[in-house]
Amino acid sequence: MNGKKILVVDDDQDLLVGLTARLNANGYTVISATNAISAITVARKEVPDLIILDLGLPGDDGFLVLERMGGLANLVAIPVIVLSARNPIQNERRALDAGAVAFFQKPADNRQFLAAIRRTLGEPIELSTFLRT
Amino acid sequence: MTSEMSERVNSTAYLHPLFPITSPHGMSFADKSTDTELSSRLRDDLLDLDAWGEILATYGKTMRVAVALTDSNGCVLGNLHNAQPVWTLVHDAAHDWIGCSFCINPGVPCTAVAEALASGGVVRTHDQAGLTHVTVPLLLGKHRLGAIIAGQVFDRYPEPLALRHVAKEFGISAQPLWDVARKQRPIGSTVLQASADLLLALGQAFLQQRYASIMEAELAEANGQFRLLVNGVRDHALFTIDPTGRVTSWNGGAQHMFDYPDTKIMGQNFSCIFTFEDVQNHVPEKLLSKAAQAGQVENEECRVRGKQKHFWGDFNITALLEDGGTIRGFAIIVQDVTERRRIAILMEEAKQERGHAQERLLSHVSHELRTPLTAIYLVTTNLLDGLLGDLTPEQHEHLALAVGNVKQMTSMVDDLLDITRVESHKLTVEPQRASLVKLIAEVLSTCHKNASSKSIRLCSDLAVDQPSVWADPIRVRQILTNLIDNGIKFTPEGGAVTVGSRPLAEDSSLLCISVSDSGCGISPEDCEIIFDRLAQVKSSMQASRSGLGLGLFISRDLVSRQGGRIWVESQLGHGSTFYFTLPAFSLAKLCAHVLTAANLEAGVITLIAVDVVWVEGTVESDIVPEIRSVLERCIHPGQDILLPPLSDAEPEKAFFIVACTDSNGFEVIARRIRRELQSFDTASKLRPAISSTTLLVEPGHSHEERIDGVSVRIERMVQAHLMGKEKLQ
Repeated sequence: MNGKKILVVDDDQDLLVGLTARLNANGYTVISATNAISAITVARKEVPDLIILDLGLPGDDGFLVLERMGGLANLVAIPVIVLSARNPIQNERRALDAGAVAFFQKPADNRQFLAAIRRTLGEPIELSTFLRT
Repeated sequence: MTSEMSERVNSTAYLHPLFPITSPHGMSFADKSTDTELSSRLRDDLLDLDAWGEILATYGKTMRVAVALTDSNGCVLGNLHNAQPVWTLVHDAAHDWIGCSFCINPGVPCTAVAEALASGGVVRTHDQAGLTHVTVPLLLGKHRLGAIIAGQVFDRYPEPLALRHVAKEFGISAQPLWDVARKQRPIGSTVLQASADLLLALGQAFLQQRYASIMEAELAEANGQFRLLVNGVRDHALFTIDPTGRVTSWNGGAQHMFDYPDTKIMGQNFSCIFTFEDVQNHVPEKLLSKAAQAGQVENEECRVRGKQKHFWGDFNITALLEDGGTIRGFAIIVQDVTERRRIAILMEEAKQERGHAQERLLSHVSHELRTPLTAIYLVTTNLLDGLLGDLTPEQHEHLALAVGNVKQMTSMVDDLLDITRVESHKLTVEPQRASLVKLIAEVLSTCHKNASSKSIRLCSDLAVDQPSVWADPIRVRQILTNLIDNGIKFTPEGGAVTVGSRPLAEDSSLLCISVSDSGCGISPEDCEIIFDRLAQVKSSMQASRSGLGLGLFISRDLVSRQGGRIWVESQLGHGSTFYFTLPAFSLAKLCAHVLTAANLEAGVITLIAVDVVWVEGTVESDIVPEIRSVLERCIHPGQDILLPPLSDAEPEKAFFIVACTDSNGFEVIARRIRRELQSFDTASKLRPAISSTTLLVEPGHSHEERIDGVSVRIERMVQAHLMGKEKLQ
């Protein structure tokens, strides 16, 4: 455990189960939220090191979360990686412009996705990461 | 009388000098009649006995011969002169010849009429009494009307005065006949022939005269009907104008459409039917000059001033030419196509709407499919990677199958989205300089697993030292993956799939990539359709999973978008080879718009090098695209060029710009780059070193040689700079 805390925002419970197991196995603590409002609440309370954000959320979409976080002093510095089923052609640029550090379309390749997380958290990408995907 | 006994006299040689008869329009009747079907009324009229009577009677009296007129079957239409005294000698039924077949020897059918009509010349026959009978065909062009038969001819001289009288009546010269007749005594065959020719000439002259008057009457009637037709047309405006554009005729449709009565518009310029803007923009003049040049203008649509409101008129203009080729005027047909256009626009809108609806649906479906796929992918890979405990080899194998299928399904979902973009021409292709050898190696390594599970060998056959391609690496990978996966799919276990690449023999500016398999092959018919949408050839049904059948359709679009083409060569049972071409990267082509003659001569082409000193700890290759986009912002878009990486060394540590600027301009660019790179990422502490050199041209070369020379120098300088041998100053 390296103790880094990741907030996964996605309304698909099954995805949360799968992704949480993968992130835990790589030493991260995972907390989750299933809609835009609770995402902001949880993020303010827990102040994670990284947020993995879905765009298609019930109620409001992920862009709203990105926008709100930009206006909140204690959240503005938290990096966000977007993991969405949406088409990157229409959404990647928009997500990056709204403050996300990376955009992945679902299903994202485990190895590339973890490499992006490590890079964002400023962790060295060890060879072992690639061996153990 | 049999045909052997008859002598044919070909008189066509006489016809032309004797018949300079032309119509008032300069077209000869003979030409015209060949093109005209004679109405039965006209045919009857041309053989009207009353009309012929006086001429033939005069001729008979003058020549002292018997004359009869027959129809084309040889039936006698009437006896004309001296008929009975002569022909009673040879014909028993002389009292009632009319309506019977002409016959001079009892019991023997006479073929003279048929022969004369078939040959077009005079036919001479002799009867039992030794008298000569002449049969002259009455032909009007290709139409066989009948014949004139003269019996007991030419046993004496024609009487000169009477002969002249007859000849004068029909406007022909009797002199040649008279000349011959005077010279030859007693009467010889030449006189016989000349006399027969006179008869023939008489017949033809009469026919032409009658024909001309009858045809004129018919034409006048037809013209009247045509005029009625033209005037009756209501949904087309038909009118003519003179070369300057003034209206010379105006039909009912035009009156109806444009609200100008013909009395008001005649002599006015036709531009009055156009809108004010079109007249200002000289649209009417342009239409006419186009029609004058090309002979006609078809389907030009213009907004015109109608009765109540403006409408879309479809113009067809034909130049009316005189014989010499000078323009006499223009015939113009205008149709109101407002409704047609409205429908076309509606249909186009509906088509687009359908396309959008399809794209929305597929986009939605693809989105919805991805969500469960992601969950399945995550949980199965978690199990497969042993995150939840160790697996037995069998469990591992089954899970690997599940993951493989998830990946296949994911790529099918990708295809589903691509297909709508192919159809709406929205597939994105971003070409860059890329190494084919590297791309092929990458794809081969990802396909390796798939191939080895079927014990298929994956081989590569790559030409050494081949140039880079100018293509989108993501799309090239997609095409290659599709072709190799197909190859693996259709190759039986133990076979091989080979990927090759080399410059195209015919055109070295293209690289040709081939993917061959040792599979079942494709029939020639299937080779034609295999790149079509949803093409699934029969043999592919035998393959266990054939996907959506969209791969080759998408590949074809991707290849053509990158300036190449794709095709297949195959023989059933002997495997297939898919080929596709991609343009080779050419610095000269890339820089052509900067390396203009003027720029080169002015010495304002500057090569700028931006060396980035990497600070340890930064994840290097991922920042490169960011640096590139920062540099793109610092140069003049569409004018300066940020060169693609010219070396395969990774990560890229130096970036090169070909700028259209002098040393002052360079300072501005350099300052901008330093400022932008600093604010781009303070954490990574990039320290750029910026240097430049001005590119000069060697005089005395052609422009192409200069461009080539300069691009070779750029390439050399870049390589030297990268190797650290010769830094730009």
